[in-house]
Amino acid sequence: MPGLDAPTATEPPAGYVHRFGAAERSLHWLLAASFLTMLATGLILYLPSLAQVAADRGLWKSIHLGAAIAFWAGLVLVWASSPGELRDTRRQLERFDEDDRRWLSWAVHRSGPEPPQGRFNAGQKLNTAVIAGLMVVFTISGVLMYLQETDASFRGTDAILVHDIAMYIAVPLVLGHLYLALLNPSTRHSLRGMAVGTVRRDWARRHHPKWERDL
Amino acid sequence: MREVRMGRAVFLGVVGAGVAGLFAGGRLSRAASPLGSAVPGAFRSLFPDGWRIYSVNPPWPEFHPASYRLEVTGAVERPLSLSWDEVMALPQTAQTTDFHCVTGWTVGGVQWQGVRLQTLWDMARPTAEARYANFVSMEHPYLDTLTFRQTTLPQVMLAHAMDGKPLSQAHGAPMRLVIPEMYGYKNVKWLTRIELVPRLQTGYWEQRGYDVDAWVGRSNGY
Repeated sequence: MPGLDAPTATEPPAGYVHRFGAAERSLHWLLAASFLTMLATGLILYLPSLAQVAADRGLWKSIHLGAAIAFWAGLVLVWASSPGELRDTRRQLERFDEDDRRWLSWAVHRSGPEPPQGRFNAGQKLNTAVIAGLMVVFTISGVLMYLQETDASFRGTDAILVHDIAMYIAVPLVLGHLYLALLNPSTRHSLRGMAVGTVRRDWARRHHPKWERDL
Repeated sequence: MREVRMGRAVFLGVVGAGVAGLFAGGRLSRAASPLGSAVPGAFRSLFPDGWRIYSVNPPWPEFHPASYRLEVTGAVERPLSLSWDEVMALPQTAQTTDFHCVTGWTVGGVQWQGVRLQTLWDMARPTAEARYANFVSMEHPYLDTLTFRQTTLPQVMLAHAMDGKPLSQAHGAPMRLVIPEMYGYKNVKWLTRIELVPRLQTGYWEQRGYDVDAWVGRSNGY
């Protein structure tokens, strides 16, 4: 299948296969850094128990907004630098086949063998779609909150409530993602793919057989 | 194998729900708030209690009971300068009311305890010149105003206790104005002086574009 493997700059070491390209990794770490910055500064602005140690709201608000601007600016830059790589990634992420739909059901019931998965499993696809949607929701509601402070005509929307709810959905997803990437023994090898771009072929065969067989 | 663009549908669904929430979220959450009280307390305590702590000039003012004064000045026959003990000896009142912030959050059923402003007016005896009241915070330069008539609305009070505990520093210790009918920025924290004046002064947030009469649901674009 065309476009199923990420562009490779150099040959991977023996026993390894290329998993993520430079643009994919840049985008991932851009999101990770800006999300965690916004989460930390956002919680300082949100939690009364943190309000006293960090009473200078203006400072935290500036960092929070700066991280949001950096995220979107970085996204545009990475996208512009390799539109082809990321278009392929998006196509792989947004399409669910029968195995993906069976995988979601398998992930809930945990019965029978794991339906074979492509380069991304259905959980990764779903997580990406939800997080991408939430980033847009965070941005729209955040811009409204910013405008509300100085312009009364933007008040009257429930931007702050929407921003809060988006946070309550995003944080468990990110915690689950961190668990699978850092702690869970069978999946944490995937972190290597996001850090240096390559993973062990036998790991790829076990977790993403439909992708590995085409490499 | 048949592929569907489920990722795109999920993405657009999340964005659509978020945009819909901007316009209907408040109404939905108010309608669902009785459900909130069915949530076990231990689980609810994991989440913030709904307050956001705003200040304009950190660090927060500190309350020293020995040196604190509550002053009533301006258009009065008898200016007041009450020690903390004298404030606490005034006739006490209590109420349970909702607190609404202009930025869109609400804390329901806050228990306040404190003093009605009429109690102070009975002592200080405002003159005919007393058309407006300036509520001056220990946090310089925070100040907000009410008309004199608004100061004696039934649920307006100076609160020194919240939910059964002395008012915390975050909430304006030792005393704050409570006017539940208006948004939070009128509910001046760290209160130390009330000036009765003939002409309207412009409050801190009013200088920054907020309405003078901050009626909940009927001002500031709501």
